Amino acid sequence: MKLVRWLIVIGVCAWAGQYALALVLPNLVMETVYALRGKSIGYNQFVVNRIPDEASRSIVRPSPDLLYAACLYDLKDGPLAIETPIPERYWSLQFYQMNTDNYAGVTNQRAEKYRVGSTMKMTLISRDDDPANYRGTVIQSPTERGIALLRASAIGDRSAQQAALDASRCGPIDKVAGR
Amino acid sequence: MLKAFIKLTAAAIAIILLSAIFLARNITSGFGTMAERNGDWETNISTGSQDAGVMLKAAVALGGLLASTQENSMYYRLSAVAGEPLRLNCRYKIEGKEYNADWWSITAYGWDNYLIPNAQKRYSFNNQNLIRNADGSWIITVAATEQPGNWLPVGSSGASHWRQFSHHDFDLLLRLYTPGVAYIRSPQSAPLPSVTRESCQ
Repeated sequence: MKLVRWLIVIGVCAWAGQYALALVLPNLVMETVYALRGKSIGYNQFVVNRIPDEASRSIVRPSPDLLYAACLYDLKDGPLAIETPIPERYWSLQFYQMNTDNYAGVTNQRAEKYRVGSTMKMTLISRDDDPANYRGTVIQSPTERGIALLRASAIGDRSAQQAALDASRCGPIDKVAGR
Repeated sequence: MLKAFIKLTAAAIAIILLSAIFLARNITSGFGTMAERNGDWETNISTGSQDAGVMLKAAVALGGLLASTQENSMYYRLSAVAGEPLRLNCRYKIEGKEYNADWWSITAYGWDNYLIPNAQKRYSFNNQNLIRNADGSWIITVAATEQPGNWLPVGSSGASHWRQFSHHDFDLLLRLYTPGVAYIRSPQSAPLPSVTRESCQ
């Protein structure tokens, strides 16, 4: 009888415990990816990946129809400037905080098609910073660290999309060209 | 005293292990009960967003890290046809037409959530590289052996088999980039490709 009581308590606690684990899992996965990828590609700079294939195993479910460039950012030393040319066909820049939330993003599709051919210039600041202190487009990150991810169509001739990603910059304001 | 300590430690370890097993079972079944179903496809309109629930965020962290919110892209996943998990020894037919999105693609992923190794290096079809019928409709055949027309090869995943928790051997992911309002407002009834199982060996 005592053993049955123990088993019931363990089962109930384990059932509730899965929610506690689920709560910490996104941060745990993001921290792991951030640390491992950061070691190989560095921080506060865009690094363009080759088109995903079966050997691409650092991030789950990569799209073989997209070019990706990632900037693992860290705002501890101040805001960062981001500059990226916007090519034709699908392009987007999405921002992720350390619990995996996609908290902000811009694209060149539908209502935002007017961006094609321009260069997106923005400032990425921490949540403790005041957006009023900056001119132009300002993105406020809910966490000090996170990932800015560029996606561009890799369908057909992708030379313009590749060039746009190659020319994209992410770094301290004084080091990014034209700022 | 020591006996009680050993008992409590053993119970704590059992709770942690069981919690991990419950969680793995819950989230490796995809969006599971968190999903909006549209035929055999399932999606979740909260994917990537700050409104997503605890389990969905955990599922996305493991099976779809860096997914975008629905305004940028919608993801429909299919891991079973009429309740039968997708198997490598079966042949499947995907039939479709055009869909209201800036572009779309259908990609096959192994149970390990990565692209499936294959000699053809073909992992997906998109709205531009499909061979279509005169009326714009198209058929993709998903199989491990060579097929005529739009053949999407599948095969063993790159990860070790002992790690496989899921019932399915692979799944299909439909990505709709900058989807039309029908997908955002009515994800359970918006038009999608149909998938049927043709035969199994």
